[in-house]
Amino acid sequence: MLRQFTRRDFLSFAALAAAAPIFEVKPLRGIDFILQNSATSQKYLIETMSGGAALLDYNNDGLLDIFLVNGGRITNSLHVPENFDRRNPRYWNRLYRQNRDGGFTDVTEAAGLANAGNGNYGMGVAVGDYDNDGYPDLYVTSYGKNVLYHNNGDGTFTDVTAKAGVAAGGWSVSAGFVDIDNDGHLDLFVTRYMDWDADHNKICGGDWHTYCPPNAFPATTNILYRNRGDGTFEDISERAGIAAKKGRALGVAFADYDGDGFTDIFVSNDGMQQYLFHNNGDGTLKECALESGAGLTSDGKGLSGMGIVFQDYDNDGRPDVVVTELPRELYAVYHNDGDGSFSYRSLESGLGSLTSGSSGWGVGLEDFDNAGWKDLFVAQSHVLDNVQQIDASLRYKELPLLALNHNGRFERADSGVTTPLAARGAAFGDINNDGWMDVLITTLGGPPVLLLNRAASGNHWLSITLRGTRSNRDGYGARVRVNGQTRFATSAGSYICANDKRLHFGLGSAEKATVEVLWPSGAKQILNDVRIDQFLEVREPEHA
Amino acid sequence: MIHFFLFAWLTGQSAAPDALQHLQAGLEARKQHQVDAEITEFRKATELDPSLADAFVNLGAAYMEKHDYGAAIAPLKRALELSPDLPAAHQFLGYALLSQGYAAEAIPHLERVGARDALGIAQLQTGQLLEAVGNFNEALAKRPNDPDLLYYLGRAGGLLSKSAIDTLIAAYPDSARAHEALGENYFVLRQMPQAEKEFQEALRLRPELPGLHLELGQVYANSAQWPKAEDEFRAEAKLQPGNAEAAYRLGSALLQEGKMHEARQQLERADALKPNMPETLYSLGKAASLDGDAVLAEKSWNKLLEIERDTSLSAQAHFGLATLYRKQGNTVKARQEMQEYQKLQTKVPQPQNPPN
Repeated sequence: MLRQFTRRDFLSFAALAAAAPIFEVKPLRGIDFILQNSATSQKYLIETMSGGAALLDYNNDGLLDIFLVNGGRITNSLHVPENFDRRNPRYWNRLYRQNRDGGFTDVTEAAGLANAGNGNYGMGVAVGDYDNDGYPDLYVTSYGKNVLYHNNGDGTFTDVTAKAGVAAGGWSVSAGFVDIDNDGHLDLFVTRYMDWDADHNKICGGDWHTYCPPNAFPATTNILYRNRGDGTFEDISERAGIAAKKGRALGVAFADYDGDGFTDIFVSNDGMQQYLFHNNGDGTLKECALESGAGLTSDGKGLSGMGIVFQDYDNDGRPDVVVTELPRELYAVYHNDGDGSFSYRSLESGLGSLTSGSSGWGVGLEDFDNAGWKDLFVAQSHVLDNVQQIDASLRYKELPLLALNHNGRFERADSGVTTPLAARGAAFGDINNDGWMDVLITTLGGPPVLLLNRAASGNHWLSITLRGTRSNRDGYGARVRVNGQTRFATSAGSYICANDKRLHFGLGSAEKATVEVLWPSGAKQILNDVRIDQFLEVREPEHA
Repeated sequence: MIHFFLFAWLTGQSAAPDALQHLQAGLEARKQHQVDAEITEFRKATELDPSLADAFVNLGAAYMEKHDYGAAIAPLKRALELSPDLPAAHQFLGYALLSQGYAAEAIPHLERVGARDALGIAQLQTGQLLEAVGNFNEALAKRPNDPDLLYYLGRAGGLLSKSAIDTLIAAYPDSARAHEALGENYFVLRQMPQAEKEFQEALRLRPELPGLHLELGQVYANSAQWPKAEDEFRAEAKLQPGNAEAAYRLGSALLQEGKMHEARQQLERADALKPNMPETLYSLGKAASLDGDAVLAEKSWNKLLEIERDTSLSAQAHFGLATLYRKQGNTVKARQEMQEYQKLQTKVPQPQNPPN
């Protein structure tokens, strides 16, 4: 006999039919940070570009902490030299230590990170253990001078910029630690956006009074610092060939795209061709994006490249590239074809429908549902705060994009965010150590937003921490394969952010894992029958 | 030009001899390009013989020559009072009145001499738009590349269109056509939600009206709502199976959605319905390339390049071919196409990105 279909049955059926959001927006207990971008009527371009964030375990207690980069105070009458009032606590960068109860404590002053330095309008952050002492160091980028903070291992940091020689200058945006020469010491790549200062600011858009497009200002060069291994760095931009290519760089990501054992560099440029620097392995790099098919759209047009991720989205073992952009363009998917070249696959991957009306910044390819395929998350918002007046079909504040990966094709999913945001940075990591990837978003003029993964399915996972011995201690540059999926170890990518350095793998219904690590030193390591649902440290063999 | 009209009339004049002397002196001064002397002499002639029509015409003409159109009006009017059939006087007076803003008064004079260009302008200014369009078209038949005429024709056509639409909206505000027209206005203003609403209302009233689904689809395409755009373009293609644009738009939407195979089919259909359209050929090449048909892609892009050589679309076709050949391992041809693409990058103005 058929049971009567009750109202309760109907409601539970309806709930099943509508897919549940992947994330839950969680209040960040103990974090009172507001990103002070200080938007003015003068439309200084720096105002709309800030919002760096890092997820790192600075005190090695096993919990991810949060570092947030602040902008600074801008007045309508800004003149060179700018001040930005960074000694005022309102404009400090902030470090929040995660407590055992999931809350956070502001440890900025105690950690020695309180004073970002007047004259430095904060942008982004990179994380890496540049001196291999087992504690992650911080590199903070700015319009002005960048700062390298050495982690002393006792909860404090020391500004070692002058000694290290990595202040850069100009307008730095994203940066990342990478071992370019496989010598076991992390080098540092710094993107710079343009040659700009307040005295040469322009306002565009006529009566609309908007921020200018990037080509209104001169292009500039990026910087590659080689780590000498003694706490100092050497600017090798000229010698390495990086300085030969001027651009308008906003994002940077690293991976060995051609499997030659040396990490390559992809730089997203705004309003022009993208740059792929192939690492020749002899201390030089050659820019080859155009000839590799990764410089332009399939129509031969430049891109408003902003955020970037360099990971394998289709599980073919090779790192692909996703670049986020402005509306009327599609987020670019450059598929790595395995022959040293790329194919533009935005349409085939489903991003044509998902992204042509949006502006993307921070971006990540992470397996949010632990199904075994990396999904796409993008922090979205237009550059212009008055874009809706100019084009009623566009919005300044947007919902983030979450697109689940179904065999290499992305389909929109509910992120759980219901209020549009002026989002910029997005950092990815497992904040509550539950085996499910979370997201931290930064917002202009607002607080950071934590999207905690609801861990809604019964899928399994594995989280790997690399411990380099002959290679750099973080294992950055290693290629890690788990049950047919591949990740390239790095904390760089996204936009002005540093991600959890642990490598997360969703395993679906698998009950065991096979882990294969190809270290930057060339060492290969295979671990069979690895237990699932665990945080695993893989130590590099000390001898060949 | 003034000279052509005036010499002949001196023969057979019966006027005061001293007036004729000044008239003759004025004509001599004209030969020497001494406009002020002309005016002095012609004025004296009119004073000595106030019934000498030729003197008035020449005085008006001299003022015209000096670009003093206001001063030309009175003597030209007097000349026509004395001799109503003087064609030169009608022509000069028509131009002079028009230049001073008296368009309505100028019209009969311009009509009389068949000055189509100036007549069209006068009619444009007096709101006789249909007549103005006719006259501009006639004038353009004789001077097809005249930028002023092209401008005025465009302006008259635009105003005529606006006038008709204003009448439509005022007289039949609840009609499907009124909603369609409003939708088109909103679309041009990029106010997509309002445009969507108007097109939807027009469709509700007259679902069979050709073009409405196409327009609504373009609203969705403009807002990157590709599945909705696809639905509308598909509806239009069903309504008008012979409409090449509907097939092209549907193919483009499908391409955007990553449905390569069907996109290619629709674009092939668009190409068959209206061959040699560069946009269709470019998109067809792209769809074929993504659908794995390199032969069709190459053929479509090369066909495009036979039609267009120096446009942004041809640059894109070269880039597409370069990519195609690179993937085929044909590095020589890939390099050639890339060089052509790069050459065009420096030649063809690039579309500007929206401000960011």
